[in-house]
Amino acid sequence: MATTRAEAGITAWSSSATRTVIARRVARVAARGAALWGFVFGAVVVASVTGYVNAYPTLADRRGVAESLGTNPGVQALLGTAHRIDTVAGFVAWRSVGVMGLVGGVWGLLTATRLLRGEEDAGRWELLLTGRTDRGRAALAGCAGLAGGLVALWIPTAVLTVLAGRGPDAGFSVTASLFLSVALVAPAAMFLAIGALCSQLAATRRQASTLAAAVLGVSFVVRLVADSGTGLRWLAWASPLGWVGELRPLTGTRPAPLLLVAAVVAGSVAGTVALARRRDLGGSILADRASAPARTRLLGSPLAFAVRLSRATTAGWMVGVALGGFIFGVVAKAAGDALNSGSAADLLARIGGRSTGARTYLGVAFFVIGSLVALQAAGHVATTRDEEADGRVDNFLVRPVRRIPWLAGRLAVAVAAITATGLIAALAAWIGAASQHTGVGLAAMVGAGLNVVPAGVVVLGIGTLAHAALPHRASAVAYGLVGWSFLIELVGGIVDADHWLLDLSLFHHLAPAPAVSPRAGAAVAMVLVGLAAAAVGALWFRRRDLVPA
Amino acid sequence: MSEPAITTNGLSKAFGSLVALHPLDLEMAAGEVLGYLGPNGAGKTVTIRLLLGLLRPTAGGARIFGLDSQADTADAHRHLAYVPGEASLWPALTGEETLHLLGRVHGRVDGRYRDELVERFALDPTRKVRTLSKGNRQKISLIAAFMSRAELLVLDEPTSGLDPLMEQEFRRAVLEAKDGGQAVFLSSHILSEVEALCDRIAILRAGRLVETGTMSDLRHLSALTVEVTFDGTPPDLDGVPGVSQVEIVGSLLRCQVNGPIEPLLQRLSTARVTQLLSREPSLEEIFLAHYGVSSLELGREPAAPRAGDGDDGGDDPR
Repeated sequence: MATTRAEAGITAWSSSATRTVIARRVARVAARGAALWGFVFGAVVVASVTGYVNAYPTLADRRGVAESLGTNPGVQALLGTAHRIDTVAGFVAWRSVGVMGLVGGVWGLLTATRLLRGEEDAGRWELLLTGRTDRGRAALAGCAGLAGGLVALWIPTAVLTVLAGRGPDAGFSVTASLFLSVALVAPAAMFLAIGALCSQLAATRRQASTLAAAVLGVSFVVRLVADSGTGLRWLAWASPLGWVGELRPLTGTRPAPLLLVAAVVAGSVAGTVALARRRDLGGSILADRASAPARTRLLGSPLAFAVRLSRATTAGWMVGVALGGFIFGVVAKAAGDALNSGSAADLLARIGGRSTGARTYLGVAFFVIGSLVALQAAGHVATTRDEEADGRVDNFLVRPVRRIPWLAGRLAVAVAAITATGLIAALAAWIGAASQHTGVGLAAMVGAGLNVVPAGVVVLGIGTLAHAALPHRASAVAYGLVGWSFLIELVGGIVDADHWLLDLSLFHHLAPAPAVSPRAGAAVAMVLVGLAAAAVGALWFRRRDLVPA
Repeated sequence: MSEPAITTNGLSKAFGSLVALHPLDLEMAAGEVLGYLGPNGAGKTVTIRLLLGLLRPTAGGARIFGLDSQADTADAHRHLAYVPGEASLWPALTGEETLHLLGRVHGRVDGRYRDELVERFALDPTRKVRTLSKGNRQKISLIAAFMSRAELLVLDEPTSGLDPLMEQEFRRAVLEAKDGGQAVFLSSHILSEVEALCDRIAILRAGRLVETGTMSDLRHLSALTVEVTFDGTPPDLDGVPGVSQVEIVGSLLRCQVNGPIEPLLQRLSTARVTQLLSREPSLEEIFLAHYGVSSLELGREPAAPRAGDGDDGGDDPR
């Protein structure tokens, strides 16, 4: 460790200590969030075991589930291909790997781009580079730090998975449990590495995370198409998320795809180091124009400018949900037919609604769309706080611009953006459904699209309140609310959790449209809650000091 | 305009138990150029952010041309333009787009003057802010402020990052503003800049206003530098009232005199003086005289953790 040498009052650390300073620093920051998510990953496994055993106590129950869900292309498109879900092992693996893989991927890319590109954008990387290191080594040290974060994610996951597996209901071997925990964190590992690579390619943190998110989005859609029973099963091998499914934890334990995972990680890290050596600090590999002719559209007022700032991100969300909605629509008929014929309707009824068929399936699909819309809303909260944290809002507030109209304008833009996203998802799903003559009306789909918006409004409202009261925690509160609600729905649907727990979820109060008609009263109530929270937040924000990062 | 540009009335700010600004009473006339001086952490940026309504005062208040800076913030801001020490701009916009946006938001732009300033500051307006150096970003901020022709310019360390040529352009622009009757509140570390531009100077120390006045007022308060050359060994000046910091180099003696010079002259009359020079203190000497004595203490002066005075640029809260 650090050896100190007192020579004329100079403290000198050994070169090994200075060499690891970057890695330790990155690891420390990454590990904080990682440990928390590790517990969530583990908790999902624990909840899936108890949930399955409670919901399907007999062999006959389990066979029923396997017959319906196990052959249902729509549900498998959502969660990944199911293997042997008439057993606890098969169900737990199916339930946890697909969803937590997605969560882990998002965590990984956000963490990597924040700690590498974000630190560089803020000028802090520069300080570290003036030490005894070069860019390539510093990038490698950054990757090593991210690996530390991955370990912090894996340890709680592994401990809880092994504990859950040792219970009498589960009876997984320790090796099998450990393999499941590896499968659960594999997407996080890949997207940490991909995030690090994108941090070298792009010119800003936002560009880097957008790029990495696009890779994740494409992986998810490719996996979704492969698992939707369209005869394109081989496509799973084209998607990193597909490889994770092919690991078959608990049911087959096939370690070979781990080689692909390792190859992505190693290749991305090697690319990261090589690119970091080649490029300038603060520069990018992808062409980024240094100058451009002035485009003065949407530069007339703070409101117009808020539209300009958010339009690229909004377009990205809209393309993403339109693609997802279209695929959900296309597979809805086949999924609905399978649902009608099995006891899966019973299972879906717990997460979905009482109706059967394609509409029930689309009800579940729009829960996914709703989660994405809520995430989009959380993103708006985070960028509004960033405008203040980085001091850019000062440019407006030292001119004749009042705080409340500025904040209200940004909220209005956010509400318009999430509404447009909900509607485009509905339209795309309707087109997809109509192409298969599914017989779901446009009005019902538009209703389902609008039905998810109130959840986003609540996120915006609570997020705005947090922005005013706890500026440094604003995005954590907004994203936390979405993550919490998502997990509650996921776990609560099969566990029959206490009612008050479900009440704390954003999505619990919304009808699973189009499976049933939207509940207007609940939707209006949620919008009012969101608006009230936003109003309190705005008044608070007007009265407080501006708080830099 | 008869209303003063700035009036503060017991304006003060505490962050928790840390007092960043003790009750401040300051008045600045319309058309006046005021230099606002103080070491890092003295509370200069806090004062400015209070004047702008970005921070809420713990007690007291401020008026900009008679408009309350907290209640009528937006109206007060129609009369002023502000340049921070380090501007945070939108990285994806070009310089021209930024100036367009800020001009439209401010609501008043002298387009011809803007184009002239872009030329004079040698700014390439087609470059994206992301690719600009700190000094070039600073130019955008300065042009945005000057092009508004606002009655009051509030400048917080405005020349940080500018090269000497651009600093000359900045001085020219301030003098033009002064000629046009605009008031300028200039917080600065560059004492020669303050000395060249300002009618009046206010010195802040540890959140308290310790001195205000014109340059000649301040000179009165400070020591006179006296240099004497002797034919032979300089005499011993111990015990002469008002004399301090005596330095002797060969036959040259340099010392500071506070108060009446007569006791020193009496002592010198007994020695063989070949040359006697006296010089009024520069602003730098006045400034150092205010802080030099207790420079150790200065290091321990409270700096607000978040919204402290960001003079050193590193932790500039903007």
